[in-house]
Order: sequence, then structure tokens, then C-alpha cells
Amino acid sequence: MLNEERIILMTQMAAYEENEGKKNVSIGNYFRSDYIAVQMLKSIVYATIAFVAVFAMYIFYDFETFMQDIYRMDLLTFGKNVLIYYGVTIVVYGVICYAVYSYRYAKAKKSLKHYYQNLKKLNSLYGK
Amino acid sequence: MTGLLEFREKIKQLYSRGEVFIIPIIKFLVAFFVLNMVNGSLGYMTRLNNIAIVLIVALLCSFLPNGAIVFFAALFSLLHMYELSMEVALVGLCVFLLVFLLFGRFSAKESLVVVLTPITCHLGIPYVMPVAMGLIGTPASAVSVGCGVVVYYLLMTVVNNATTINAMDDETTEKIRLIIDGLMNNKAMLVLITAFAITVIVVYLIRRMSVEHSWTIAIIAGVMAELVILLVGDLLYDTNISVLGAILGVILTVMVAKVIEFFRFCVDYSRTEKVQFEDDEYYYYVKAIPKMTVATATNTVKRINTQTRTSTASGDGAVRRNVTTERTGYYQDNAQRGRGSYNRRNEHSGNSRSVTINSNMLDGDDDIEYEDIF
Repeated sequence: MLNEERIILMTQMAAYEENEGKKNVSIGNYFRSDYIAVQMLKSIVYATIAFVAVFAMYIFYDFETFMQDIYRMDLLTFGKNVLIYYGVTIVVYGVICYAVYSYRYAKAKKSLKHYYQNLKKLNSLYGK
Repeated sequence: MTGLLEFREKIKQLYSRGEVFIIPIIKFLVAFFVLNMVNGSLGYMTRLNNIAIVLIVALLCSFLPNGAIVFFAALFSLLHMYELSMEVALVGLCVFLLVFLLFGRFSAKESLVVVLTPITCHLGIPYVMPVAMGLIGTPASAVSVGCGVVVYYLLMTVVNNATTINAMDDETTEKIRLIIDGLMNNKAMLVLITAFAITVIVVYLIRRMSVEHSWTIAIIAGVMAELVILLVGDLLYDTNISVLGAILGVILTVMVAKVIEFFRFCVDYSRTEKVQFEDDEYYYYVKAIPKMTVATATNTVKRINTQTRTSTASGDGAVRRNVTTERTGYYQDNAQRGRGSYNRRNEHSGNSRSVTINSNMLDGDDDIEYEDIF
């Protein structure tokens, strides 16, 4: 038999899953640490690509002088400096990402609270 | 006001029923407009200026996610830059990469802002975007608006230096230096980014306050803050901001912001849902249509207690009393209720009755009994 109450509840939940809850449901599938770790890894990859792009621009900006100086400069110190800049970029961007994604995880969990309640209610309706 | 509220309800009704068709049409129009603007301002690659290509890409954008408009706008810009010079395209690619990799992932929903900000700047109304984003977004929208400003100044630097770049033959480093210098030493860009970021935050903070007319206060405070920062920036760095243009822009911004304020509840509406799910017994294909507030003016004019009496006491006066009740735009459904006091207040005004009493009364006629009509 069709149960009207069940159908209304399921429709509401399906609508939530398809629209505003789509992202929240996928976030909710992760543990907090896993979710933040995945996002941090992505952030490191993106920050690395961005750093390479900026570094390339820096080299091309003064390419002739750079090529003239490359034989005279201390390459080890230069490499060290570049690595320090890279490290600072990654750390700063990583901290920002950590704050943003921790907040997003907490927000998604809060939004899913109602959804989980509905899920329990639906379960009890099927149990009758 | 009731007429305007009815109009809003009608638009809301139309939008939620025809969302399936309206959203692709809007996306198509936005994409078409954006790509034409890119072609109009850059336009170095003549093959891309073909209207057929623009139409096909716009059509493609109409059923792809919002990000597609941003992607194609960036692609078109890069191709035009490439036609001008490969080095310029490289710098452009770097800037786009920075914008999308570092900042775009925090506000993927607002990717369209990065495209719309340069367009409003190009149209001479740059003040609209930060106020609008402060009203409908979050403080994080300041990042998207800032990225939009960077993109605008990148394109402007390319356009302004196009002749110089064309005149350079094989001076790769010079071309790159020209664009990077044009972008990095641009004080106007820094002033605009600061002004926009502060405006977004000011508007957001004030409109969230629990005071009456917080939205109006936020709009006015936002544009004033923006104007002051731009003028101070102009004094400090001589950015050549036209005061008259700024004032006109501010007036236009207030108007646009008021329109956004009027339609703000349309952001949070019940839409027609088509969902599929299953349990152990059935497959369900459900189409849920929201109950809509009927806002059309259903005027029912009722005449009660029409009577004509001749007063014998005074001998010359005829008493005519017409009581007319009109009911305009009665909101039948309660589905929209409970969405904030503003909505309830509006509904109250929609549920108004107007009473017209035409009387030609004489003294001493106070004994006439009124029928209780309410």
C-alpha cells in the first residue's frame, strides 16, 4: 500500500539530496579528518601549480639578466630561497584552507542534522 | 505597493513553475552578452568574432553549469590575447590560473561574479557588484569581487598596450614586462579592490543587523563607504576617478540594490521538484509542485446597505449612504508564511480592504443604524 506520509517525507529528502543538500551529503560521508586531509592535499597541489606559474613569470620578467647572472650566482642559495618562498606559500595557503574547510565541514554537519532526523523518522515509519 | 507585491508574487510564481526553461534562457543570454563583450573589447582573433561561434558557445553554456560561462569567457580572452602575442596569453593564463586555483575553489558558486565584475566595470557602473554581493552573498564574496577587478585590469592593460605590443617584434621579455608592470603598478586597481572589499563587508555586516530598514541602511552605508574610499584613493594616488561619474554610478547602484532588496525572497523560493526514489515495494517518480500564493487581484465589490431616505425633519435633504467593500489580492495560501516578519507584513498589506463611504448626510441623522460590515 502507498503511504502518503512516507512519500511526502521521501520526496522532501530526495529534493534536499538533489539541491542544497547535494554537497552536504557528500561531505557528510567523510570523517572530519579525512575530509580536511583530502582538501589539504588538493590545496597543496593547486598552490604548487600557482607557485610554479608565478615563479615562471618572475624568471621571464627579467630573463636576460637572469641568464647573464646564472653563471655568477650561488645556485644553492637561490634554490634555498625559492624553497623557502614555496614553503611559506604552502603553509599560508594551507592554514587558510584548513580554516575554510573546517568551517565548511561543521556547517555541512549542522545542515545534515535535520536530514538525519528525517531518515530516522522514515525508518520508524517503515518499521510500523 | 500592493501592486508591486502582486507583481513580485507573479514573477516568483512564473519562475518556480518555468524554472526548467527560464534558467537556460537566462544562462544563454548572460553567456551571449559576456562573449560579445569579450569580442567587442579584445577582438584580435577575427575568427572568434563570428556571431555563429558565439551563438553555439552560448547555447552550450545554457545547459552546462555556471562555471562554463566563466571557462568560455576566459578561453575567448586567452585566444584573443594569443592572437595579439603569445607572451601576453602566457601572462593572462598565469593570472587566470592564480584566480581560479587559489581563490576560485573557495567560492565556486560565485564564479560568475568574476565575469560580471569586469563587465560592470566596463559599463561604467563598478559600484553595483560589491553592494549586490554584500546584499546576497557573504564576506567571502569580497574575494570573488577582488578577483573580478584583477581580471578587468588585466584585460584593460592588454587593450591599452595592444598597439605597443604589436609594434614589438621579437622582444619576448619586453612584452611580458609591459603587461606585468601595467598590472602590478596599477594603483587604481589596488584602490578599487580595497574599496570593493570594504564595501562588501560593510554592506554584509549592516544588513545582518537586527534593526529596521537594515537593508536600506546597508545599501546607503555601502555606497558611501565605497565613494569615500575611492575619493581618498584618488587624492592619494591620483587615480583619475571622475566625481560626476562616481555620483551617477552610486545613484544607479542604489536603484539596482533596491530592486535586489525587493526581490530578495525570490532567492529562497519553493521550486517544482522532480525526484525519483524507490523502496522495497515501489519506484516513485514524484513531481512536487509548490502551492503558490495567489496574488492576482480578485476584486469582489459588494454593495451593502444602500438606502435612500428622505428626511422629514429638515424637509430638503436626501440621505444616500453607499458602503462598498473591496477585497484586493487576498493571499490564500499560508505556505509562504513564517519566512520572516517582512513577508508577513507584506501579506498583511496585501490583505487590505478599502472602504468607501459616500454620504450626503444632514445634521440630525445620527440615528441611522449601520450594518456591521466587518
